[in-house]
Amino acid sequence: MENKKPLSPHIQIYSWNISSLISISHRITGVINILALTLICLWIILLLLGESNYEYIKFFLQSFFGKFLILCLTWSFTFQILSEIRHLFWDFGYGFELITSKISGLFVIFGSFVLTVLIHLIGKQII
Amino acid sequence: MINATKKWIFLKASSIILIPLMLWFIINLVSIYEKDYVDIVSFFSTQPSKFLTSLLMIVAFFYSSLSISEIFEDYIHDEKLKNIANKTMYALSVIIPFLTIIVIFNLNI
Repeated sequence: MENKKPLSPHIQIYSWNISSLISISHRITGVINILALTLICLWIILLLLGESNYEYIKFFLQSFFGKFLILCLTWSFTFQILSEIRHLFWDFGYGFELITSKISGLFVIFGSFVLTVLIHLIGKQII
Repeated sequence: MINATKKWIFLKASSIILIPLMLWFIINLVSIYEKDYVDIVSFFSTQPSKFLTSLLMIVAFFYSSLSISEIFEDYIHDEKLKNIANKTMYALSVIIPFLTIIVIFNLNI
């Protein structure tokens, strides 16, 4: 049966603002995160191959690209976490005013970078 | 209760569980990813990381399958294709965490 339901207009017809930027980034990071988690699952499954085979994975993870990948994934996860917290506030009825929405949007953008740095400092036991 | 409401409640409940779990996992991921095989196996095969990683995989794939089905709903025009995409994603979001958990519970140093 043909679907007669209207579809969401695609992103290119809107003019950009903080809310739309966060909205589409929330979706994109959501897809990236599930792909990243799939890779992490593969990483765990490959542990079954033993210590000698793990050297190839370790070599990649210790390279510049490996470190950069983990840094990018950290940002993607932190962005999703902060954006989801923003959504939860909305679900409880808070933060709908235009100015509050803009401030919380900026908090998600800048907070995700700050949280990424913080997580790396904590993870590396620098702080 | 209509299906869309149930889906929304499941989505929100899983996101509340997922936020602290994700934070815990990223901090640990950053601290272990460069380490030796023994350290990584030791991390995944001991508690509480064994339980928390398993829980994370179940909840994360559950949450993602629900939220990505919303994206399919919004952007895939063809009903048949959307149905296939949803079924494939639901199958993968059961198979991938299931395999991972089996491996986690069979890891030994």
